[in-house]
Amino acid sequence: MRLLLVEDDKDLQRLLKKALTDSGYVVDSATDGEEGHFLGDTEPYDAVILDLGLPKMDGVRVLEKWRRDGKTMPVLILTARDRWSDKVAGFDAGADDYLAKPFVTEELLARVRALLRRAAGLAHSEIEIGPLRIDTRASRVTVNGNPVKLTSLEYRLLSYLAHHKGKVVSRTELVEHLYDQDFDRDSNTIEVFVGRLRKKLDTDLIQTVRGLGYCLDEKQSDSK
Amino acid sequence: MTLAARLRLNSLAGRLIAAAAVWTLFALVAGGLILSNAFRTSVQDDFDSELRSELDQLVAAAGHDPNGEILLDRQYLSVKYQPVYSGKYWEITSIGKAEKPLISRSLLDHSLVFADKEYLADRFVAGHGDGPDGQHLRILGRRIDFSIDATAKTDDSRGYMFYVAADMGDLTARIDSFNGTLFWSFAVLGLGLVAAVFLQVRIGLQPLRRVTLALHRIRDGSARRLDGRFPSEIEPLASELNSLIEHSAEVVGRARSYVSNLAHFLKTPLTVLASEAAAQPGPLADQVNRQVETMRRQVDHYLARARAAGALDVLGNRAAVAQALEDLARTLRRIHRDRPVAIDIVCPPNLAFRGERQDLEEMAGNLMDNACKWAASRVRVTARPGGAQFTLVVEDDGPGLTPDERAQVGERGERLDESVPGSGLGLAIVRDIAKLYGGALDLDASDLGGLATILTLPAIA
Repeated sequence: MRLLLVEDDKDLQRLLKKALTDSGYVVDSATDGEEGHFLGDTEPYDAVILDLGLPKMDGVRVLEKWRRDGKTMPVLILTARDRWSDKVAGFDAGADDYLAKPFVTEELLARVRALLRRAAGLAHSEIEIGPLRIDTRASRVTVNGNPVKLTSLEYRLLSYLAHHKGKVVSRTELVEHLYDQDFDRDSNTIEVFVGRLRKKLDTDLIQTVRGLGYCLDEKQSDSK
Repeated sequence: MTLAARLRLNSLAGRLIAAAAVWTLFALVAGGLILSNAFRTSVQDDFDSELRSELDQLVAAAGHDPNGEILLDRQYLSVKYQPVYSGKYWEITSIGKAEKPLISRSLLDHSLVFADKEYLADRFVAGHGDGPDGQHLRILGRRIDFSIDATAKTDDSRGYMFYVAADMGDLTARIDSFNGTLFWSFAVLGLGLVAAVFLQVRIGLQPLRRVTLALHRIRDGSARRLDGRFPSEIEPLASELNSLIEHSAEVVGRARSYVSNLAHFLKTPLTVLASEAAAQPGPLADQVNRQVETMRRQVDHYLARARAAGALDVLGNRAAVAQALEDLARTLRRIHRDRPVAIDIVCPPNLAFRGERQDLEEMAGNLMDNACKWAASRVRVTARPGGAQFTLVVEDDGPGLTPDERAQVGERGERLDESVPGSGLGLAIVRDIAKLYGGALDLDASDLGGLATILTLPAIA
């Protein structure tokens, strides 16, 4: 999953970016409202963590502009302004969740997980697809009860497909959501990773839809 | 009520009208007296000069014989002297010799007696006396000396007093009639003048009434400044008041932004501290966490009070309650979308809170958020108007609190249950803000099964 973090305080930004990356996310960051707005506008993100008190453009304005331009990614607002009138304004501008400072990082991670789950239409932190079980809180994968060891990128790939269960995900989409903007994008490596993932899972859950992409579903059927 | 207040001398209008009335009364009385006097003098002078010419006639009609005896040619005298008690009389009395005076036929059996007398130039004498038939007479007299030719002495003479008198009844009647007319016409004039002053004052002071109405609108929050054009005497007052309102709002706005900035710049470092401590567990981390938590609570507590304290001094604060509750419900439905809680709001559409909208949202938001956290499926918000105050009741169908627990939470704002974050402190902040507005927060059991929080706040009637 690819996240955008817009936070002007350098220390906090560093801290949060590390925590998010450690949890298996790919994180792009911005330190002011204009840069943040631009990134959110041009790059595909699975979720955005947006501080409100930003230089150059206020967080609420950034959010309003995104929503007006049709950007629907879930947005979590971070701010010291925790008056109810600010919360009302934040949600009316299009926020999906609101976290007041000071907070503990664990709280932030849990909220991000919930945002992503909600966006995928999933109700619980555990995703079950046939024999496959993914504990998104602990980043652990089991198949038929047996734990499967995955690299960070393999987990990210599986998690993304699981969050888009039943949908066909193109290679390009995978490239955009699994690598940050500085990485050299090469969609062929995706094929390699999918192959490796399939071998580790040892199931038919990941199907290839020729010409379109991949799909993770519990229905076992022939791909074409 | 003091006499001054009773006479409404506390009001400008009262003072102006009272002063005008007093002056009018004084001027009219003085004027009336002067006019009356002038008329009386004029009429009396006419009367007297007529009397004077009659005296001259009498003297002219009187001749004398060589012994100095009066020879009166009565046919030269007016017919008015004929009828008995006609009101016109003459009398000629001899000075020195005791002789019977000659009198007019009208005088009959009376004589002219002075009640008061004054001596004038040229041997004239004038005065008043009582005449026959209850008449009051004006008497004019003159001493005439006739020289006696019969004797050898050249300067031998006989003196006579010639008197004419006229009844003043007519004169008095004319003066009385004039005075009467004068009195009534001046009375009407006086009333008319006072009425005119009354109207002028009311119309003239209208701008002040406009100012009062405008101030009422500001207090009610339906206007933010004194609008309209005012006469030059009041214009400075109006513009000063507007400046004051603006300045006051500016000061509050600035204070609020300082407070917001403090929140922002204090809470971010606290977040960093808390997160770093979480990353390296140990005794230091525990201490850091505890202190961060204390700092966070204190900052929240005093920031909330600082924000609300300014609200009381600002003129014309007004917040629509129904709108605020709808906004909060909308936001809360999104925050608690993972839980199936229904929020019902009952609120009269025109109910207005006499205070800052942000403070109303803070209080209602905390109460409604708490209710949503604890509710099983339902939260009910009811706003009831009640004259100078209104009540806002937030109820949930959750587990509720026992009476002891209610007392504990209400008093010290402690959190009873750590598993649902932020309940106790939120209530303490609500209670503090409510108190600042002269209101109150009470807790009770709800008939939905859970807790009922009852907020009482000032309303704009």
